[in-house]
Amino acid sequence: MSETTVNEFRPQRADAVTSPLNEDWLAVVLGLAIFVLALAALINVDLIGWVVTTTVWTNLGHALKATSKDFSSLSGAGALIATYVALLVVLSAGAVALKANVKRFALAFTAVFWIAYASWVIGNYANFAAVTPAEQQKFGISWSLKLTNEGGYIFALIAGLIIANFFPRFAEAVREAVRPELYIKVAIVILGGVFAVTAASKLGFASSLLLRGVAAIVEAYLIYWAVVYYVARKWFGFNREWAAPLASGISICGVSAAIAVGGAIRARPVVPVLVSSLVVIFAVVEVLILPFVAQAFLAHQPLVAGAWMGLAVKTDGAAVAAGGIAESLILAKNAAEGVNYQTGWILGTATTIKVFIDIFIGIWAFVLGYIWTNHIDVKRDGDKARASEIWQRFPKFIIGFVITFAVGLFLALGTPADIAKKVPAAIGEANTFRVIFFILTFFSIGVLSNFKTLWQEGFGKLAAVYLLSLFGFVIWVGLLISWIFFGGITPPLAS
Amino acid sequence: MAQTKLQDELNRAQYEPMLPIENKLVGWSLGIGIVLLVALALLNHFVPTTF
Repeated sequence: MSETTVNEFRPQRADAVTSPLNEDWLAVVLGLAIFVLALAALINVDLIGWVVTTTVWTNLGHALKATSKDFSSLSGAGALIATYVALLVVLSAGAVALKANVKRFALAFTAVFWIAYASWVIGNYANFAAVTPAEQQKFGISWSLKLTNEGGYIFALIAGLIIANFFPRFAEAVREAVRPELYIKVAIVILGGVFAVTAASKLGFASSLLLRGVAAIVEAYLIYWAVVYYVARKWFGFNREWAAPLASGISICGVSAAIAVGGAIRARPVVPVLVSSLVVIFAVVEVLILPFVAQAFLAHQPLVAGAWMGLAVKTDGAAVAAGGIAESLILAKNAAEGVNYQTGWILGTATTIKVFIDIFIGIWAFVLGYIWTNHIDVKRDGDKARASEIWQRFPKFIIGFVITFAVGLFLALGTPADIAKKVPAAIGEANTFRVIFFILTFFSIGVLSNFKTLWQEGFGKLAAVYLLSLFGFVIWVGLLISWIFFGGITPPLAS
Repeated sequence: MAQTKLQDELNRAQYEPMLPIENKLVGWSLGIGIVLLVALALLNHFVPTTF
């Protein structure tokens, strides 16, 4: 049996430690830049309408096109190349800021982008994506997997998994551009503006949903964490250094929580690193299963499904992505039954829950750090937990999310009608970039998930705690609480 | 980075009995969590979603 070593995982990159600009801040910069460029459409200047979008297809020549009609002269392939070049330039500049190896990043990103986007295009093939009988008739097909166009995310994830598990050398070669945390954080910053447009149409409803997000925080931090910590300590015999990051990874928010709490309790860096590698693998399993379970059993409780994805699926990327897939599957199922809900509410619920949970990571890490350094592992006076660590560990990309949400809401509600009516289309262009960052996230999560890890020496005990806690407790309590707070609430109907 | 074996890391982790402060942390955390959840569920019941 092979041995598992620390440097097989490396979820925290050297550049993240040495660079003054971390991935969180870079995500804020990139997300805001895309958002601002999109808003130029409000003054009739279309700066990013060339970004590529994909439609369900049977003829590949019709699959791709530019997002905006202003760029209809650009072919689908031209829009795809323009999108690739723009992202390559911008993200390479980001790599410079992160002090990463730019040449390696650019080469790796080229492979990541083209494989991921090709997977997405395949996922949009009509036999995979068409949902309604009318669509099947339109494309002249007799059957379809009915995965919706967002099933393309699953294809990107599977492509990543194939590379991770069957072509590990290639996975290592493209590692520089496999940055799911960066990609999803950029997407979440953009999502702030997208949700603002959705929320503006039903502000009271959106406020009610936000209030219900508070319940998620209570659940994740006070109930999940306590139970998982107790299970890890009492039933599996883990010591405190392992149990605290493990409980945080399983119960709160995966990788970021494990690393934040590991640092706060002064655990050796190896501990949260190993826990994080496990979190990613189980997140993949959840993404592949839970949205389909939600479609099968929660199609008539769409917001319960959204909240459940936010509460049960760990890591930001996987949770928000699972929310996106669940939304697509559930809306399609309802549409097939003649009920057309507005898009955005299920994904919005999942993301809001996740963002609410993220906001408190720093505070929870500080609480644990205070208890550890003052009562459990008392070492030196100078090594006590400090309140400033709350800000240090605060996930900064949330600032970007709040800014785009606030600006989007102001533009939709506080501007003259002739400007306000242009807001959905303008932010819609930014949303096309959000979809691309989702695709990159799915693919990257796949590339990081080598399932052989689970069979390596020493990993069984960690995985057993995770399995027992996640599938025996976290998922079901998450479902129950989602039902209590979101049961019976349905998204507004599409007009 | 040094090659650190997971098995070695776990073997090195000695058994540590639960300290009273840990029991308190788990107990208070669960207790406050359940009380808050019940309070929020009641609030949710009496303040219905507005459309």
